[in-house]
Formats: sequence, C-alpha cells, structure tokens
Amino acid sequence: MTDKKELLSKLQLAIIEGDAEEAKQAAQRCLDAGISPMAAVETGLRDGLRIVGEKFELLEVYLPEMIMSAEAGNAAMEVLEPALAAAGQIATSPGTVVIGTAKGDIHTIGKDILSMLLKLAGFKVYDLGEDVAATTFMEEARKLKADIIAISALMTSTMPGQRDVINLLKDVGQRDKYAVMVGGAPVTQEWADKIGADAYSETAAGGVMHALRLADREAGRNR
Amino acid sequence: MIDFFEVIRRAINGAYCAEQDFAMKILVPKLRGVIKKYGIRYDPDTAVPSDDNLADRVFEAGVELCAEVGCYCRDTSRIIRFSRDEIREALRDAPANPVFGEGRDRKAMTARRPESAEAPYCFVGAGGAISSAEEVYVRLVEGYGRNPLIDSVTCPTLTKINGMEVVAGSPLELLACIRSVELGRAALRRAQRPGLPIMNSIATAVTAAGKIAGSAFGLRDSDGWVIGFTSPLQVPFERLNEVAYVLARGGQVVGETGEAMGGYAGGPEGIAVTNVAYHILAILILRSSAHLTFPMDFRYGCNTSWEIMWPINVSTQAICRNSHLPLLNLTYVGAGPVTDMCLYEIAAAKVGRVASGGNIEFGGVAKAITLDHFTPMEPKFASEVAHAVAGMTRAEANDIVKKLVPKYRDRLPNPPKGKKFQEAYDWDSIEPCQEYVDLYGRIKDELTGYGLKFK
Repeated sequence: MTDKKELLSKLQLAIIEGDAEEAKQAAQRCLDAGISPMAAVETGLRDGLRIVGEKFELLEVYLPEMIMSAEAGNAAMEVLEPALAAAGQIATSPGTVVIGTAKGDIHTIGKDILSMLLKLAGFKVYDLGEDVAATTFMEEARKLKADIIAISALMTSTMPGQRDVINLLKDVGQRDKYAVMVGGAPVTQEWADKIGADAYSETAAGGVMHALRLADREAGRNR
Repeated sequence: MIDFFEVIRRAINGAYCAEQDFAMKILVPKLRGVIKKYGIRYDPDTAVPSDDNLADRVFEAGVELCAEVGCYCRDTSRIIRFSRDEIREALRDAPANPVFGEGRDRKAMTARRPESAEAPYCFVGAGGAISSAEEVYVRLVEGYGRNPLIDSVTCPTLTKINGMEVVAGSPLELLACIRSVELGRAALRRAQRPGLPIMNSIATAVTAAGKIAGSAFGLRDSDGWVIGFTSPLQVPFERLNEVAYVLARGGQVVGETGEAMGGYAGGPEGIAVTNVAYHILAILILRSSAHLTFPMDFRYGCNTSWEIMWPINVSTQAICRNSHLPLLNLTYVGAGPVTDMCLYEIAAAKVGRVASGGNIEFGGVAKAITLDHFTPMEPKFASEVAHAVAGMTRAEANDIVKKLVPKYRDRLPNPPKGKKFQEAYDWDSIEPCQEYVDLYGRIKDELTGYGLKFK
C-alpha cells in the first residue's frame, strides 16, 4: 500500500515540477504496480495540477510553470488514457471551454493565465488566440461541443466584441447551448449583466470557480 | 545604430518560430539562465535597493537577454534579433534630452540618475483612464493643465461618441480618435497651456488607422507619441506601422512596455531583467526618444504592491545608471479618488521610482478601468510628491516606502473605488470638494513628517 502511495506521490511531484518525461514514466510505474488508471488520474495527476494552480495564486509559481505542468499532465495522460479505455473507464472532465480574446484585441496574457488555470482544473480548453471574431467563437464552440465560451477583453473599445458573441448566439437561436463567461481588466459585473453574460470574474482564480459552477449547470441541463 | 528599414527587414526575414515556442523555448529558459548567471535575487525585505552593483548586473543581464532572445513579430512569426555590437551602438546613439511641447511649455526630458536632485519630468493626467462623456473629458484635461508642475499631459479615453459606444476597428473608433484630439487641444487652450504636449498620442485608439487619422486633427510633431510592445517581448505590425508614420512626420516616439508579474517573465527577478531588455528594444525597434514602463502585478491589476516595488525600482536604477535614454515610470493604483489608499499608493510608488532615477507618468487611478473615477488631484499629488523626492537617497526612500505600503496592502485585493470626478469636483469651477482638499492636506502633512520636502 505504501509503495502505491509513493508511486502516486511521485506522479504528483512530476506534474508539479512540470517534468513531462518523468510524468510519463511515473504514470507507467503506477499502472505496472496495479494502481487503477482512474486512481492515477484522480490522485496523481489531477491533485498535482490542482496544487500548481494553488501555488500560482500565491505567486510561488508563474505562467511558464503552469504551462510545463499542463504539458506534464498531457504526457501522463498519453500513458493513462489507453489503460482507462481498456478498463472501460473515461477520465471525467468538468467540461469543455472555448476561450479567446475579443475581436480587435491583441492582448493575451490574462486569457493565457485563465486558460492554464482551467486546464489545471481538468477542463478541456481550446484556445482560439487573440482578435477572434464572434462567428469564430460560435463555430468553434459548435464544432468542439463546448460547454463554455470564455471571452477576454483588455480595452473598453474591444468589450463590445464580447456582446457581439452573445448577440450572435441569440440571433441564431443557440444562446442556451453555451454558458458565456467574460473577463479582462475593464470588464465589470455591471457590463456582464448588461450584455447577458453568465459569469464574470475580476481574477483568473475566480474565473475557474465560475467555470466549474457553469459546467455543472450545463451538465445538469444535458442530463 | 541600424536603421528602421533594417528592423522591418528582420521582422520579415528573421528566423521563423512558433509563438508558443518563442515564449516557452527561447524566452523562459534564457531569462532563467541570465538571472542565475548574474546572481540576481529578489529581496522580499527591500522595496528600494541601494546596491549599484546589483543594478549593473540587472542591466548586463537585460543586455544579454535582449541579444539572446530578440523580439517576436506576431504577423510574420519571425524573430527580430540584434547582435551585442548593435545593442551597444544603440545605447551609445540613443536620443538624449528630447524636447517636447511648444512655446512656454517647451521642455527637455532628461535621463536622471539614482538619487539625482534634478526635478523629474512630469507626464501626468489620466493615464488613458475611461471617461463617460465629452464634457467630462474636457473638464478633466483642463484641470490637468492647471497643475503648475505638469510637463506633458496624458488624456483620457473616450468611450462614447455622439451617444454611441466606441467599437475598436470601426468608423466609431476613428471618429472618436479625431474627437479626442480636438477636445484635448481645446481643453489645454482653456487651461491657458496651449503649448503643453499631449504625450499619450490618442488613448482612444486601438488601431494604427485610428491613431494616424486622429493625429491629423491636432497632434503635433512636438507632442511625443506613445507606442507599445505586446507581452512577452512581441511587436505587431500595427505598432510598427505607427512608428513608420511618426518617423516620417518627424515626431518622437515614447516606447511603452508593461510586463505582467506572474506571466511569462515570472517573478520579481524576471520582471527586472525583462524591463531592461524592453528598454533596449524600445531604442532599436520603436526608435524611441524616451522609454515608458509599467510592470504590473497581475494579481491586483496595478503596480503598487510590495512585491512589484523591488523589480521596478531595481530596473529603474539599472537603466538610469547605464543608459542616457530618458525613462518614465507609469503608476497604476488600485484605489479611486478621495480615498487615503489612493494617495498612499501614489506616494509609495513615486518615492521609490523617483529616488531610483526615473521620471514620472501618472496615472492610472482605480486601475484606470472604472468609468470617471479619476480627477486632476491625483496627478497633481503625484507630481508634487515626485518633486519633493528629488535629491532623496534610496535608503531614505526605502524607509518611507516601508512605512507607506502597510497602510494599504491588505486592501489591494478589494480596493475602494472612491468618488467619480463629478462627485469629487465642482462641475463649473473644476475645483476639488472640501473633503478632498482636507484629505490631500492631511496626507501631505504626514509625508512631510516622513521627510518629503514639498516645495
């Protein structure tokens, strides 16, 4: 039992340290020792990613470390996913998020940080980049069967791009298919309410909390 | 120094690199490498270091980072690189003492040194904060112009034109840019300061087209034109287009950079070194006559936290000891007008940055994102503090910052928004309310007790 605990801790550590090669090997060692792939995902991988997210909040690690941990998580999943499939199990994810910066806005740092924190929280995240048209948000969300569309804006004059996405979804009768989150320095709760967004957060960590709540709501709708 | 055509050639023909690889495979490892090589370590107990050797090592690390990493052009996915010789040449040939403004308001901006007794250049006003209406915009700029210590003005952003929300990239942006310039110039005439330079170009502009079109309606070659990089160490064609335009008309660029602590540059050490690299790139790529910098604490959306003080002050010292291109530090505070927190934040930021050798830009009140929550009082206060700090040692500045930050640090996660301009000021006379005058006086008295010598 101690050995199994130790192996899971090593997987967790590899994720925290962002060591993709070690994460892959640690995941394989877990399977070789008879640990169920689901336990390796939940206890080794997910807990490791969660700890990295918490460390970011305390500025003990930064965006590059989060990216490396997410990559280590992907490397471990390359080993664990086939084992999960063989066992007839599927790694649960809170949901799928399509994220990008509003049309006309080329700033990416806030979007990049939220994107990483969402990945660490287990979401499937598709980053559409910056200066994204409303039609692209809608089409990609449809293609990827997203639960949430997240739109960042760093300038007051690009905030209308967030409203354009919501209006487009309404116009084509798809507004109830996705939860829409908005954020960015000039964005406020008042603006989010005005344009009919489902959630707004001033901080990236708050954004993750909202995403978890919204994903739960979307899952409830689809049950 | 290599010319601008060569910069464009490298933006088009430089080495290809995927955007994420530039950040994660080039910038991040090189940055970590130079931090280690030059022994740069954040000191959590110090806000304003007095260590010249540390400052010079930060500068050398920044030079090496610049030479090893270069700048990424997003439009072409190419890296614009410079050799160490080209960097040394750029530092040697960079403009010194650029002159801005007209008539009685014509003035040179100089490169100060740490602990210099020379009064800092004061580029103050709105810091691009957002205004709800043209009438508010005009009164604010007139109020800024009445500040006797102002050397150049930063105008607000117009969020509406003819009652319509400004949308980036649309004709409304272009029209709002034209209107911004017309209103800014008219307001400065009303303040009896028609020659005062408008240095933040057009805060309302998002696109190069907006900025260039708007400029034809009243911006001058003597104004100073803020043009910025994108994080991390990137420049898009939109900004290079603006540089091309300003150079062709004989204007002077103020190169703007603002890396986020917590982002790709990492923590305090990374922010300090990256700030130096940006300084050099501002000379080479943006062809700057001055460098304007505002590293931000990502957690709070401002740059007055304890942790951001060290990297800003140490990199200011690094630049001011080793470059003759003038440096301006832009401060964003969390709190809004008529709050003690706002004035404490301004004082803490300006004491450290001016003692470290910087000139000032102010400001971003209430993070510059809360509609109409800024007044002429905060930039006036910032310029008075800046003048009072001239000649102070870094050790004295450190002691004062240590006293000031605890007065607000617990409130940074949720700072008070304070009052709107319309609530804090008399609409007709453009004079502050008595409550603000009293608060202003009380905080100035407190700072006098700490050793600031207000003129």
